[in-house]
Amino acid sequence: MATEENGSIKVLQGTLDLIVLRTLATMGPQHAYGISARLKQISDDSLDLNQGTLYPALVRLEQQGWIQGTWGKTENNREAKFYAITRAGLKALDRETQRWRKMAGLVEKLLVAEA
Amino acid sequence: MWRLRRLFAKLCALVAPERAERELAREVESHLALMEDEFQKRGMQVDEARAAARRAYGGVEQVKELHREERTFVWLEQTMQDLRYAFRSLWKDPGFTLLAVITLTLGIGINATLFSAYNAVALKPLPVSGPNEVVRLERWFQSGSRGDIQYAFSRAEYESFRTHNRAFSSMVAASWPRPVIEDTPVANRGGTITGQLVSTNYFHDLGIGTRIGRIFTFDLDTSPEIVISSGFWKRRFQSDPNVVGQLIKIKGTAFTVIGVTPEEFTGTSTTPQPPDFWAPLSLEAKVIPGAKELPVQVLARIKPSVLLQRAQAEANLLIQQVAKPDQRDKTTAISLQHTALFGNTEDIRFKALVFALMLIVGMVLMVACANVANMLLARCAGRQREIGVRLALGASRARVVRQFLTESFLLAVLGGTAGLLASVWCTRLLWSSIVQNFLGSFGGGAAFQANLDPDARVLAYAMALSLLTAVVFGLSPALQFSRPDLTTTLKEEGSAWGLRLSRSRMRAFLVAAQAMVSIVLLISTGLLLRGLMRSQAAEPGFDTRNVFLVIEDSGDMAQNAALQGRLAARLQTMPGIRNAALGSFPMMGTWTPPLLVEGSQGRTLASYASDAYLNTLGIAMLRGRNFTAREVSQGAPIAIISEATARRFWPRGDPLGKQLNLDLNFQGKFSKFEVVGIVRDVRFASLSRMDTGHVYLPAAPGDFQGVLFRSHGDAQTAIASARAAVREVDENQLPGLTIASIEDGPLRVQKSLAQTYMVYAAILTLLALTLAAVGIYGVMAYLVNQRAPEIGIRMALGATPATVLTTVVVEGLRPVFVGVALGIAGAAGLSWVLHTTLVFPGSTDFFYGIPFYDPATFLGVSCFLIFVAGVASLVPARRALRVDPMVSLRHE
Repeated sequence: MATEENGSIKVLQGTLDLIVLRTLATMGPQHAYGISARLKQISDDSLDLNQGTLYPALVRLEQQGWIQGTWGKTENNREAKFYAITRAGLKALDRETQRWRKMAGLVEKLLVAEA
Repeated sequence: MWRLRRLFAKLCALVAPERAERELAREVESHLALMEDEFQKRGMQVDEARAAARRAYGGVEQVKELHREERTFVWLEQTMQDLRYAFRSLWKDPGFTLLAVITLTLGIGINATLFSAYNAVALKPLPVSGPNEVVRLERWFQSGSRGDIQYAFSRAEYESFRTHNRAFSSMVAASWPRPVIEDTPVANRGGTITGQLVSTNYFHDLGIGTRIGRIFTFDLDTSPEIVISSGFWKRRFQSDPNVVGQLIKIKGTAFTVIGVTPEEFTGTSTTPQPPDFWAPLSLEAKVIPGAKELPVQVLARIKPSVLLQRAQAEANLLIQQVAKPDQRDKTTAISLQHTALFGNTEDIRFKALVFALMLIVGMVLMVACANVANMLLARCAGRQREIGVRLALGASRARVVRQFLTESFLLAVLGGTAGLLASVWCTRLLWSSIVQNFLGSFGGGAAFQANLDPDARVLAYAMALSLLTAVVFGLSPALQFSRPDLTTTLKEEGSAWGLRLSRSRMRAFLVAAQAMVSIVLLISTGLLLRGLMRSQAAEPGFDTRNVFLVIEDSGDMAQNAALQGRLAARLQTMPGIRNAALGSFPMMGTWTPPLLVEGSQGRTLASYASDAYLNTLGIAMLRGRNFTAREVSQGAPIAIISEATARRFWPRGDPLGKQLNLDLNFQGKFSKFEVVGIVRDVRFASLSRMDTGHVYLPAAPGDFQGVLFRSHGDAQTAIASARAAVREVDENQLPGLTIASIEDGPLRVQKSLAQTYMVYAAILTLLALTLAAVGIYGVMAYLVNQRAPEIGIRMALGATPATVLTTVVVEGLRPVFVGVALGIAGAAGLSWVLHTTLVFPGSTDFFYGIPFYDPATFLGVSCFLIFVAGVASLVPARRALRVDPMVSLRHE
């Protein structure tokens, strides 16, 4: 993950899908604003998701059939599109998580060995 | 799985983008509302919170665009947008669209027509099953002889190939189609039908079925059975469904019809003349009495596992083993030729002809492209404002260029489709006119049949051509008018003085290019037309009306010297015949051996002649003496040469009594001949030009091509006498016999071929003239029109109309002059190259003696084009002069 000058982190290509899937799996159905707020919160404000990245990710995941969007009401009675993870999405999450772990482990190993 | 799902979803999004757009807007709206709530919760005012939410969210439109890019195939969506837009804008300007499409239709149509004909003749495989595995065996001779004999194999060679090869899964043999006479002909059918002898595996191994009945069986039973063609079945049997079992009697043998081939089977012979019937080779003696082991053409099917090169190598090896040591002309190699309708389409001369034709029609297309490009330019100039606005609103240059090209592609595809449709019809017309002219008067036999339906190849060719033309004519206007000079274009149509310079230079270049291509095209077609017009009046220089050729299809007589001699002698005594001779037939093929005289070498035409030959043809003896009968029978080493030969090889001295050396068999071995006479120059090889050199030789018996005679009095009497003489000498020759005067035979073929070419050259010339005139006029008029404001200013500043007119016209004509000069140079070069092929004595002169620099054509065409350009600049300039100078000033 590339670190920008002000300390916030840019999402590495391809990991955003994993992050979104994980968020939806743990938190249940969420709208776009909810997802970005949650990510901001969990990363102590260091991960500031640009809406320009989040929206394409959502449409991509929805078209792949991994999440499903439905219109609903928030607690403030505002209408919003809530995205929920599907069964196929859960399977994909498993796959992606394992792949990420492998990858991360490999990079970690390399970094340790070289240092 | 999910990838597929995604693709599907993306495609769906393409069809109805409105719903997704609404949904997206709603989602963004709700996102903003939620953020606003959040900011309000933190204590902001309503307005403040709204602004803060917008700030935090970022560019709404950018997010939407990114969403769209992810949601669907943007490029495809844009292309569809462009297409819709292009359709609308072309629809709004029907005059331009129609003219452009017609121009392109002509250009592409004429190219597609030529390609269709070429495709049918040289590219389409034979109508057999698995045509890609089937090859035709072609042999190459040490002498370099070319033509049909390259496909002739003896029965022994065929059998040996069949038994010893390992590369082929099967081999079939077929004779050339031969005319035979039916004993009890149906009324009005003349009784002469053509038959082809084939090996019994012919139909089976080539995978040709029957529409009725069955094909030959393999057993060695020689019961007389024949398979008939669809055409014959319709003609002779009126499509009788019960034709199987009916009899056809030939020379006393009754042949049973066992089957009818399908319509689309046009035979496998090297000339596409489907015979009326096929009979097994074993019945040769019964079908064609007197025939002994006719040569056959051989087709082979390569085993799927074998590479062509390996099969070729094996064939080369086998032919060396079969070859008899005493063969006159050794076969040096065998090549396996992919089967096409005509044999010999790999011949360099055929390819050169096709290339020359392609070049000419290619030029027509280029002129058409230049025209459309110039029309587009003029149109773009009118749309400069629109383009400026698009660029200002943030469209990228690439996007604008794409928009332009989409329009060009649409035009090209419309033109291409129309051209393709037109070509389907034109190809049929072209083919039938060629066939008619070629066979109408002479040669008889069945008509050539070809499958002219456009196939994938023609389709691909026409489409590729359309797309190519779209790029050629569309790219330059697109690039020129999409330059992001925002300020200028928005201000006032780019008429600022500074900007115009580079564009006007570009236009001058276009005018020059168009003038050049037009000139090259016009001169080429003009020269061709002028040459061909001379063909009808051309005189060969010897008696063609009263000299008759005795042509027998079989070639038996040519091999039988005694028979020839007897026939000539008999003819001499028949009523209505003045004299008869043996020798080469004029205008029916050439023989051009190398000639060596005292160190200078060249090629010359050569003919064999009996003692009565020159006299019979009416070729005047200028000096020296003729051959004697005794010299001819001994094949004495003497020669009579033509004037041109004398001039060329003995520019100063007297050739009489001198020696010349000829390499008769092309083997590098020269034999000596003594010159005994000189005769007048004639057009012997072709009507198109005087022979550049000709040597007449007395032949060894058996080398004469055939028998000629000169009538005296009525032609019909002479022909009847000749037939009677042939019957007396050898009755078996009658079926394949043609007796025609040189005038009605080969000369008519040449003249009518030239006439066909002439008609096409005239059409081409007319097309070229129209295209060139329309194009040059359009672009010149447009350029001058653009200068109307400038003309107004000049007038306001006190210039006289005369000076303004002179400047405008002279300046306008400058690039035209440059183009014409370049075009003349190009055309002269092209025509010079074509004329250099005439060094070879056997080649035909399509220009019929018109010199390559023919001043009439060059001057006439140049004047025409300059005149059109002059008028085109004069008319709008005069109109501009009449406009009140104040009006144009205000406009500026």
